[in-house]
Amino acid sequence: MLKKETQEPILESSDVSEENIQELAVELSTLLEENANEIRSHWVKEMRRSGVLASLSAKEIEEQSRAIYDTCILCLKTGSYQGAENYASSMAKKAILETMTVDQIISGLLILRDVYGRFIFQWYHKNPAKYAEVVHTYEPVARRILNIVALAFVTERESVIKQQEAVMRLSTPLVEVWEGTIMIPLIGILDSARAKQLTEAVLEQIAKTKIDVIVMDVSGIAAIDTKAASHILRTMQAAKLMGTEIIMTGIRPDVATTLVTLGIDLSNVVTRGTMREGLEFAYSKQGWKVTKD
Amino acid sequence: MEQELIEILEIKSEADIIEARVRAKAIAEALGFNYMDQTRIATAVSELARNACQYAGKGKMTIKPLNKQGKKGMEIVFEDHGPGIENLDRAMKGGYSTGGGLGMGLSGSKKLMDEFDIKTKSNEGTSITVRKWL
Amino acid sequence: MENVSIPILKSGNYLITSPQVALHDKLAVQFKKDILGRIVETKAEGLVLDISAIDVVDSFMVRQIGEIGTAASIMGTQVVVVGLRSTVAMTLVEMGFLLRGVQTARDLEKGLEVLQKTGRR
Repeated sequence: MLKKETQEPILESSDVSEENIQELAVELSTLLEENANEIRSHWVKEMRRSGVLASLSAKEIEEQSRAIYDTCILCLKTGSYQGAENYASSMAKKAILETMTVDQIISGLLILRDVYGRFIFQWYHKNPAKYAEVVHTYEPVARRILNIVALAFVTERESVIKQQEAVMRLSTPLVEVWEGTIMIPLIGILDSARAKQLTEAVLEQIAKTKIDVIVMDVSGIAAIDTKAASHILRTMQAAKLMGTEIIMTGIRPDVATTLVTLGIDLSNVVTRGTMREGLEFAYSKQGWKVTKD
Repeated sequence: MEQELIEILEIKSEADIIEARVRAKAIAEALGFNYMDQTRIATAVSELARNACQYAGKGKMTIKPLNKQGKKGMEIVFEDHGPGIENLDRAMKGGYSTGGGLGMGLSGSKKLMDEFDIKTKSNEGTSITVRKWL
Repeated sequence: MENVSIPILKSGNYLITSPQVALHDKLAVQFKKDILGRIVETKAEGLVLDISAIDVVDSFMVRQIGEIGTAASIMGTQVVVVGLRSTVAMTLVEMGFLLRGVQTARDLEKGLEVLQKTGRR
């Protein structure tokens, strides 16, 4: 049972003076620098134990742990967080694309904070008043760094998502030309992700409404990769099974050559040169004739 | 904490084949796969379950959710102690349309899933592992 | 499994059927028999096979449909498969299974149109 005894009062953050904080910060960062190797290996060991380092190589662990450790000390010493911000946003950009997850980065930093805390206790606990001051000096810095890192990741992730959404929105304008005929003008770069999204949108539309013909115009496509091309072709075949004919218009000669070189079989695909010819095909398929009064 | 949720099903009859694909589809949906992928998974399961039933008499299907460094997915293993597959290459080459035959199921499933692994030994049996990622 | 049989309806010169459950072994055999029996009985010009209730079509099912198509055409009856779900259509295409010997259309209405257009007489 914890006995409530009279203890040394725990200093409120505001009780520590500015100069004091500066001095303590420098003192602490010097200690942390001098003992860098010991503290860092302790940190790496703790991270290993909690599985945070699962996907990393020894070299990566060495590099990244050093970089983070040094960055933190720099912030503590100089009071400037620019270093942390730069590091955090470069880490965020890398991590999203490579093997580390946000969870790993943040867990790693939380463990570092704990490890620093343990060493601080070890060095200062014999002097409770001083210990309290050091803790109050150190804590805001630790919090701020963690905040910067978390924010950098969230911001990066949000920007990636926004980009993806923008691409999605641009990529599938399904234009209803008249009842039963839809036109899809594709523009830009068609990669597998876009092709997949296109397929889903098209097939979903076909399932929902009665579409006889889809005119897919590709004259605005700047580049297309094999996977995307195969995927589009399969989508056309699937649509045909569902009773909708998809015809492709606007295949530029260079695109046609690329497709043929890539081994894409266009023999069963209905194509027309221009959007207009495509629409004429659509009319005739639906049994309509266009006359001029 | 995520529990290790493993689903095991014995496949001995037609009814089991259907049960297998219904369960696989349900698990796929629970894991977050979209309709298209759910159908791909259910179709591959139907093929492989039928193979086990038809060519080996009976088999065992094990479904396991996957989590590799944050990447989530689903793994399904089909094991049987049947005659094994004689000419694996030929069997995998499949064929097309008119359906039927060992090859159809194998090559078809391979195309629908992200990973496809097969081990077979004459008179000992066959083990097929397929995986799909989110 | 209980002995469920799939209803086959007659509409003019055509037969219409819409399986609501997965066609497993015995059911498939029974179904094919029933269809061919009805074709002989009615001398139907066409058959609309509506698979909109079917969510998974594997190679076995593809074979059944193919066999129904082949047998029916031998007897002079055309088969149109309608109602393929987008997920089913996509998996068929991805697996490389073609539905040989049968035509496809969007729904019952379209299916009957197709039969009328390409009818015997």
